[in-house]
Amino acid sequence: MVSAPFSRRGFLAGIGGVGVAGLLGACATGSNESAGAASTTLTLQSSLSDPDPKAALTKVVEGYSKSQVTLNTIAIETFRAQLPTYLNSGNPPDVLTWYAGSVARDYASKGFLLDVSDLWTGSGPCAGFSPALKELSTADGKQIFVPTNYYWWGVFYRKSAFQEWGVQVPTTWDEFIAVCKTIKSKGVAPISMGTGSTPWVASGWFDYLNLRINGADFHRELLSGKHPFDGPEVKTVMDHYRQLVEYIDPKGRSYSWQDAVTPLTAKKAGMYLIGAFITSGVPSDAVDDLDFFRVPIIDPSVPVAEEAPTDGYFASAKSRNPQRAKELLGYLASAPAQQQFIQLAKSSNLPTSQAVDTTTFAPLVQKGIKLLNESKAITQFFNRDSSDELQTTADTALTKFLDSPGDVNKILTEWQGAAKKVLGS
Amino acid sequence: MTAVAAPPRPEEVGMAPPRRRKSGLRAVPPIVWVFLLIPAVVEVGMVFWPAVNSFYLSLTEWNGLGAARPVGLDNFRDLFSDGIFLGALKNNVIWAVGFGGLSVLGGLALALALNRPRRGVGLYRSAIYLPMVFSLAVTGLFWRVQYQPDGTINTLLGAVGLESVERQWLADPHTALYAVLIAAVWRQVGYVMVLYLAGLKGTDPTLDDAAAVDGATAWQRFRFVTWPQLRGVNTVVFAVTVIDSLRTFDIVWAMTQGGPYHSSELLSTYMFQQGFTFLNLGYASAIAVVIFALALIFIITYLVRATKEEVA
Repeated sequence: MVSAPFSRRGFLAGIGGVGVAGLLGACATGSNESAGAASTTLTLQSSLSDPDPKAALTKVVEGYSKSQVTLNTIAIETFRAQLPTYLNSGNPPDVLTWYAGSVARDYASKGFLLDVSDLWTGSGPCAGFSPALKELSTADGKQIFVPTNYYWWGVFYRKSAFQEWGVQVPTTWDEFIAVCKTIKSKGVAPISMGTGSTPWVASGWFDYLNLRINGADFHRELLSGKHPFDGPEVKTVMDHYRQLVEYIDPKGRSYSWQDAVTPLTAKKAGMYLIGAFITSGVPSDAVDDLDFFRVPIIDPSVPVAEEAPTDGYFASAKSRNPQRAKELLGYLASAPAQQQFIQLAKSSNLPTSQAVDTTTFAPLVQKGIKLLNESKAITQFFNRDSSDELQTTADTALTKFLDSPGDVNKILTEWQGAAKKVLGS
Repeated sequence: MTAVAAPPRPEEVGMAPPRRRKSGLRAVPPIVWVFLLIPAVVEVGMVFWPAVNSFYLSLTEWNGLGAARPVGLDNFRDLFSDGIFLGALKNNVIWAVGFGGLSVLGGLALALALNRPRRGVGLYRSAIYLPMVFSLAVTGLFWRVQYQPDGTINTLLGAVGLESVERQWLADPHTALYAVLIAAVWRQVGYVMVLYLAGLKGTDPTLDDAAAVDGATAWQRFRFVTWPQLRGVNTVVFAVTVIDSLRTFDIVWAMTQGGPYHSSELLSTYMFQQGFTFLNLGYASAIAVVIFALALIFIITYLVRATKEEVA
């Protein structure tokens, strides 16, 4: 065929043209639509992609009437990777879920986060939050974060199992080691720990031993690179960690943190140092049997600190409507919204607002509130107090240590080398 | 017979007159250009431009915020003093050799065994191809369960009295990489088998029969009759295997995430971690450039050799 009739050619070219126009149009309308939406409705970018928290936040947002809110839920790993892009884009989401800690401060120092200091003063929705939370949400003298819930860490165990083995809750390090010994003598692994696909669990013990031996201030400074990981303080921490190694379930090296809950509920492991989120992995008939205790005191002269990673929201500095974004933050931080979210999400998280009526919460959660109220200092978690990149240096060092505790000095030197590279970049 | 028969006219032997075909080639209708150019524009804009960008990014330091800071070749210099990168590079070599070798040998052996029609052969072929249907992430999950401390593999070893061999396959830095390798080969072998089965269908059975009549052994018939006829398939299998082994990511990520302590780290998993977990986008791009260069070197040298042989 040499030439097609003009009309047919024109028709085909037309289709091609429509295709291109459609393609370009798709891009154009894509941005137009969101730009138009930003001026009238707010975008709430959420990383809460698990079914219960997602449904809970959807419900909470539905109850907001002051502005229209579009809730975008994005899987956590994608969210983490995309977060700088969101904040840096010309038309960012107005409000975003994230964690308090060094990452939020890092973004704030680059000017990406909205100053929400006025929410924290006078009769603002965050004015009644504890000074520790305020401190946590502050960067360069301004508040940039609105914490809405947090959870505690503790050594979880089954009450009925402790009864069967005839052991009491330990309060000192020596008592703790004695409990481990007794449990081991029953043919049960004393400590469960899933460091296979979730090696960060190993940092839980590291954080706590460091908090108990060197205190919260040293811990924070260590994680911000002001002390070396191969210094004498960390060596003392590792000496204590080493005493635990023989009591840690060796099979845990193949487990995730969720897998490691199973031996605990099946009474094949005695104790598990983990966050309150463990309740989501425990069968409902065993939840009432679950209890926890504070990581035993090692040096009584060190003020008691606990890990309580805090979740919440921040707003983008480039939000088209900062006033409305702040109003939404205020609503999310309000006592009814916090209460509604925590209950619908079926989590064991604690509200940050003291106005929330917690008397209806499970006894375990009430005990968690008491634990945190009694502690002198609150830390986040290794990665939130430092960075995700420093976390992987800890993962490498600590899992290696669990495999060959004898090489501790070499491992700490390597850790310091890796940490220096991360902190230097 | 003295009369010489006239040569047959082209129409008689079904050949198109050459002149008409030429003119058809010369006058490509504009509409065809349109159909060629639109995909080309899309391809350049959405594939090549981002790819070129990552070359540029590899020369910068960028965490996704603000402007990228040019650092010259620093990223590449850092790479070659980075123990984890060098370990990943070494693992990639082990992976390419192990994954390529085992899946090609296994696939070829299975194809030869299952080439002749006999009862139930279709069932065997489908059973071996079946793992290919699952995504690598699912394969990883499936094998992770097998490798658990109380999983099938340790149970089987225990049942036959090999307790001493039992170990935590994925948590042991000495076995993690190989444990993942087996799972990947388990999946790839069916794919290579299908490629070789197709290749074997294209060989001439009469040559094989003739060699058998001449008294050639089975090995001789394979080595000197069948194998040379598989050259075309070998090129495809080689290219596919090298590319697959260099881009292996999902199965390692699903099974070990490169751990324990980077012992099963591959270039791709390290790149992912640097790029999308730590947001060291410049450094991650440098790793991507290395992967690209490796793939290119392997494929180009092989293709050049293969085409040379064909010409000769």
